[in-house]
Amino acid sequence: MSARAFDAVVVGAGVGGLTAACYLARSGRKVLLAEARNRLGGRCESIALGEGFTAPLGAHELHALDPRVARELKLARHGLKFVVRGMALAGLGHGGRHALIVRDVRDTVRNIASLSRADADAWPAFHAELFALARALRPRWWEARPPKPLARRHQEVFEALRHVSAAAWLDSRFESDVLKATLAFDATVAGYSPYEPGSALLLVWRAAQEMCGLQGVSAWPMGGPAALAAALADAAKAQGVEIRTGAAVEHVLMQDEAAAGVALASGESIAAPLVFSSLSRRATLGRLAPAGACGFETLAALAHEPVTGEARIVLALKSLPPFNGMAVPATARFVLAERLESQAAAWSAAHAGRLPDELTLEFVIPTAAEASLAPHGQHVASVLVRPVPAAMSAAMKTQLTARVTAALDAQMSGLAGSVASAETFTPAELAARYGHPGNAVDIHSNWNQRIMTTIPGLYLCGAEPVPAPSGRAGRIAAALALGGGK
Amino acid sequence: MRALSCAEGRGLRYDACVIGAGADGLSAAAMLARAGLKTVVVERGEQPGGRCALREFHPGFRAAPFTDSIAAIPPCVFRALDLARHGLVLPPPQASLSMWPDRAHWIRPHRPSPAAALAQEMSRLSDAAIARGRDDAAAPPHRPLFGRAPAAAPWPGEDLLAQPLAERARAAGDTDAMAHVLAAALEGHAIDPDLRGSAAALLAPAARCLIVPGLAEALAAAATGAGAELMAGAEATEVRLLKDRVAALVLADGGAIETRAVLSTLDLKRTFLTLFAWDALPKPLAGRVQAFRMEGACARLLIALDRPPALAPEAMRAGIRVAPDARVFADAAAAWRAGMAPERPPMTLRVVSAVAPALAPAGKAVLTATLGAIPHRLFDGAWTNERREKLRDTALAMIDAVLPGTRDAVLAAELLVPADIEEGLGATGGDVWGGEIAADQMFAMRPGLGAAAPRTPVGGLYLAGGSTASGLLGAGVSGTLAAEAIAADLKNGRRG
Repeated sequence: MSARAFDAVVVGAGVGGLTAACYLARSGRKVLLAEARNRLGGRCESIALGEGFTAPLGAHELHALDPRVARELKLARHGLKFVVRGMALAGLGHGGRHALIVRDVRDTVRNIASLSRADADAWPAFHAELFALARALRPRWWEARPPKPLARRHQEVFEALRHVSAAAWLDSRFESDVLKATLAFDATVAGYSPYEPGSALLLVWRAAQEMCGLQGVSAWPMGGPAALAAALADAAKAQGVEIRTGAAVEHVLMQDEAAAGVALASGESIAAPLVFSSLSRRATLGRLAPAGACGFETLAALAHEPVTGEARIVLALKSLPPFNGMAVPATARFVLAERLESQAAAWSAAHAGRLPDELTLEFVIPTAAEASLAPHGQHVASVLVRPVPAAMSAAMKTQLTARVTAALDAQMSGLAGSVASAETFTPAELAARYGHPGNAVDIHSNWNQRIMTTIPGLYLCGAEPVPAPSGRAGRIAAALALGGGK
Repeated sequence: MRALSCAEGRGLRYDACVIGAGADGLSAAAMLARAGLKTVVVERGEQPGGRCALREFHPGFRAAPFTDSIAAIPPCVFRALDLARHGLVLPPPQASLSMWPDRAHWIRPHRPSPAAALAQEMSRLSDAAIARGRDDAAAPPHRPLFGRAPAAAPWPGEDLLAQPLAERARAAGDTDAMAHVLAAALEGHAIDPDLRGSAAALLAPAARCLIVPGLAEALAAAATGAGAELMAGAEATEVRLLKDRVAALVLADGGAIETRAVLSTLDLKRTFLTLFAWDALPKPLAGRVQAFRMEGACARLLIALDRPPALAPEAMRAGIRVAPDARVFADAAAAWRAGMAPERPPMTLRVVSAVAPALAPAGKAVLTATLGAIPHRLFDGAWTNERREKLRDTALAMIDAVLPGTRDAVLAAELLVPADIEEGLGATGGDVWGGEIAADQMFAMRPGLGAAAPRTPVGGLYLAGGSTASGLLGAGVSGTLAAEAIAADLKNGRRG
C-alpha cells in the first residue's frame, strides 16, 4: 500500500460523490475523490455542439437539488446561480392543444380551461392534495431518520399509493388526454410505465422536491446543470479534497471483512477505512467489491438488466421557429404528450425492442434562458426520449434522430430546416459515459437500506430513491458513515 | 322451487333482499334463509344462475354465453350449501393445452411441471387470501380512538402486485411453456404481462370451475330449499333510504319491497350508479365508485359444430390456447387500450360438449372461443355488423389453423363482444371479472370503499360478487360472507 493514507475515498465524481467528499472534508476528514473520466460532474455535463454551441448532455434541468446541500456547502458562493427558478411545464398535443402548467394555481386553471373546463375545476384540489402529501412525505425522502412518523391519514394514502398507477390516479381526476399525458411523463423515470403500480408515488416524489425555495419545479442554473458540478467541485477543492481525474478504481480493498481502501487501475493502492461509491448498487457490489464479498443472493437479486432506457438528442438550431398557435414561454420544460394510451403503447414497444410509433419525449431550450450558450440569435434544444429500447441498433439511432426532428417540427413549423447539427446518444452510449443507472427506483426503502451495503465501511453515495442529481445521498452517506462510530 | 310473481311480492316485508341470482346471490340467500331471515332474491333475467345460466344459442345447442367457468367453489361453500344433495357433480380440474399448427404443449394439473407447480402455488395463495378475507369480515380491523392503528398484515399473494407476470411465467421453462402460462393467466384479459403488478392475474385465472348443466339449478335449489324466495324477471332500480339507512328496494315495474338489508351482487359501479341518486351518495364514496375501473376485454364466440373436432379425448376436455406467443399479449393489450381490436387476439377454445354431452345433440359438438383484448368501445365508433363479421372471420380462421376442418363443420357461430356481455349479463363495461385486475383493485382495495367488506358506507347495504376481493377469488364466498355479516348485524340491531 502507498504511504499516503486517507480517511475516506470517494469513487466517482458525480453530484453524489462530490457532495459526499465535501461533507467528509468539512468534518475534517482527509478525502480522496477518484474519477475515472477526465472531467468532474457525472451526469451534469455540457458538451460542445459545433461552433459556439453548448448543450447539456446528462441532466438538462435540475429538479431535485437538496436545498440544504446548496446552503451548507455555500454553492452560491462557489458560483451556482439560477437563471430560471421555476420552469413552466408545457404539454404539447396535436393541433395546438396544450397544457401549460405554471406555479400559480389560478394561472394554471386559466391555462387548462381551454382543454377542459372540468379539469380546470379539478386542478386546485389535485394540486393541493399532491403538494400536501408531498410535504408530508418529504421527511421520509429527505432525512436519514425522519423526526416523527407520518400522520395516520398520510400513512394510509402512502400505503395505498404503493399500488396505484399514475394513469389510474390521473384518470380519476382529469379528462383531458393532453393534461394527463403531460403529468404522467414524470412518472416514467427509470423504466416505469405510468400504468404500473407505484408510479403515482413517483409524481409525489417529484412534487416533494424543492428548487430555489419553490416546491416541485425545475430550474435552470447559469451554465446548465454542469454549473452545479463545477460549484460542487469548487467547494470540494476549497475544503481540501484531493481530486484525481483519470483515476479509474479497479476494486475495493478489503481487510477483516471490511472495506479498507481502493486499488486504482494504475496499480496504485490507496488505504482508507471509508469507501464511498457513486456507482449503482449493482455495479458496486458486482464489479468493485471483491468476488464473494457479498452473498450470491444479493448479487442475483441485483442482476437485472434494464430492458428500456432513455435516449438524448441535442440539436443546434440556426433559428427558433415559434410554436404553432400556442402561447408558451420558451423557457418551459416541454413534454410531447398526446394520450396516456400512447405512453403505454410506447412502453410495450420499447420492451419488445422496437422504437415506439409515437415517441414520448421531453425537451428544453437552454438558450431561451441563457442566450450565451449559442452564437447570437441561434439556439440549442435538448431532447430526452423515453422509453426507448436499451439496446438500439445504428439504424434505430438514425431513425430516432429523424423522427425526433420531425416531431418537434410538427410543433414548431420550420424547425427541421433550421437544424445546424444534431447529436444522438443511445441508452448504451449514455451508460458508457455515466455508468448504468441500475434501474433503481427505490422509493419505499429508508436511507439506511439504500446507502449501506453488506460490506462494513462501504457506502453508496449515489443511491437516490429516484435517479436525479440531488446531492442528498452524498450528504446522508457522509453523515451515516461519520455517525456510525468510524 | 317457489317462484313469486312480482305482484305477489309487493307489500311484503323482508329481512334481507338479494339483488342478482348468480352464484354469490344464491349462496347468500341460502345462508340468510338458514339463519332464519326472511329473504328474497331479485333477478333481472327469467332464469336464475347469472353467468352460470345456460342459453340455447342454436336449436339443440346450449352454452354458458358469457364465460366457460366461474371462480372455484371452495369446499366449505360446497358443503355449506349441500350442493351434492342438489345433484351437482363438478367435473375434475381441466388440463390446459397450447396448440400451434406444428406442435403442442400441455399443463396437466396432476403431472409435475414448473407450470403446474406455479398454478398450484397460486391456487394455495388464492385460498389463503379467501381465508384472510373471511377473517377480516368476521373481525373488522381494530381502529383505536387514539394512537396508531397497527399496520395490517400483508395479504397472501400481495407480492404479486409488484411483479411482472412475464417474470413469473419465465420460470415455467422454455418459450412455449412461458407463452402457455401467459395465455392461461390472461384468458379474457387485456393485460401487458411486462408491467409490474400484472402477476395479480395469476390469482384469478379462468377455468377454476367449469359451468356445467345443473350448476345454476343446484344453486337455486339450495337457496329455495332453505326457504328463500326467488323473484325472477324483476329488475331492481332503486334502493330507497330512510334516515341514511336502507329501507326498501324499488323494482322496475314500480313495486317496492320493504327490507332491512340489501345485498347487491351487481358490480360496484352498477350498484351505486343505478340504484342510488348520484347526489344521495357521500362524496368520497361517489369518487371511489367513479374511479373504479371496469372495462371489458373479453369477447365470446359460441359455435355449433356438425361434428366434434378431430382431437384426442384428453384434448377435447382441455382448455385449448390457440397458438400463444409471449410477445402478442403486450401488443394486444396496447391495442385494446387504444380502442382497437388486435390483429391476432389471444384465444382459448373449449369443446364444452365433450365435458357436458347434454349441451349438444348426439354426434354434434359445442365449441366456445374466449377472445382477449377486445375493446368495449372502439376508438372509431360502434361495433357494427361488418366489424363483428370481421372479428368472427379472424377467430374462425385462427381456429381453423390449429383445428383444420373446423370451419366447414360450423352450423352457427354467435359472437358476443363486451357490449353484448354488458347488455346480457348486466356487467358494467362488459367486464365479467367485476373490475379490472390491477394492483390498486385487489385485496383490501377491492372495492376499497373504506368500510370493512362486505359492508358499505351505506347502512344496511352489503356488497358481494366480483367487485369484492373474495368474490373475485372464489365463487359463493363473498355471498356467504355477506350473509354472515347481515345476519350478525340484524341480530345485534347494528346500524351499519
